[in-house]
Amino acid sequence: MSLQYLKDAAAAGDPEKLIRYVRLHFGDGNEEAGRREIDKAWIEALKPLLDVPPTDREFILETIRTRDPATLAHLFFHLHFYLVQRSGEWIHDGNL
Amino acid sequence: MTETSDGGGGPPRVAQLRPGLWDTVNERYPGSMIDKADFVPLAPLRKPLSECRLVFISTSGVQPKGSMPFDTVHPVGDYSFRRVPSASRPDELEIHQLKYPTASANRDLNVIFPLDRLRELADEGVIGGLAENFYTFIGYNMDPERLERTLAEDIAAAVSEEGADIALAAPA
Repeated sequence: MSLQYLKDAAAAGDPEKLIRYVRLHFGDGNEEAGRREIDKAWIEALKPLLDVPPTDREFILETIRTRDPATLAHLFFHLHFYLVQRSGEWIHDGNL
Repeated sequence: MTETSDGGGGPPRVAQLRPGLWDTVNERYPGSMIDKADFVPLAPLRKPLSECRLVFISTSGVQPKGSMPFDTVHPVGDYSFRRVPSASRPDELEIHQLKYPTASANRDLNVIFPLDRLRELADEGVIGGLAENFYTFIGYNMDPERLERTLAEDIAAAVSEEGADIALAAPA
């Protein structure tokens, strides 16, 4: 899938093409694996919060307030891979 | 690529060996929309191989330790390249690349980035020597136009400045 393909999908309001691309990206070309990877990341995001430990909300809110949407979106992709790596189940062949 | 003649007495044209290649890519990867009718003909060798300085260009994601890691998480890819000194030792380099198995390369970098083998070819006089730097990037780039317009052009310009005579380009 090319960038233009994704831009056209975004312009046409075709979320299925966009999320399919994300799944393929996270699943190294395997859409079903990508779907599981997304679930895995959310599970890993939930676990550390179950005991309600103190978190640095000032950092979070300051980051969201001061950074541009593209940087935050990029951070979101980084956090996905950080969380799946933290899970200990690494499906990817290579290194981050 | 093969050489063909247009029958007009001019220099032979170089034809693509697999003219249907992009059709195949587009069929297997719907939406990739690669459309490339033109191609760059192979440049003829201007001096003996044993006198040529070689530059190695690789999509392996190999880079000097401490340099900014290739962006392996960006959904559209990373269009930057790294210079890797050809005098580097393997333990001075690391791999940032998600899309191919790196286990063997982490044991012996030469399987993907043949530093030692190329130095041996230079020492044996098979090639004239190595360019000061090799060039690497990652192959996960979803915008072919940007890839050609920026990354390929940037590397070509850098390689030209190196004074390399020949380039060995290897996908990972």
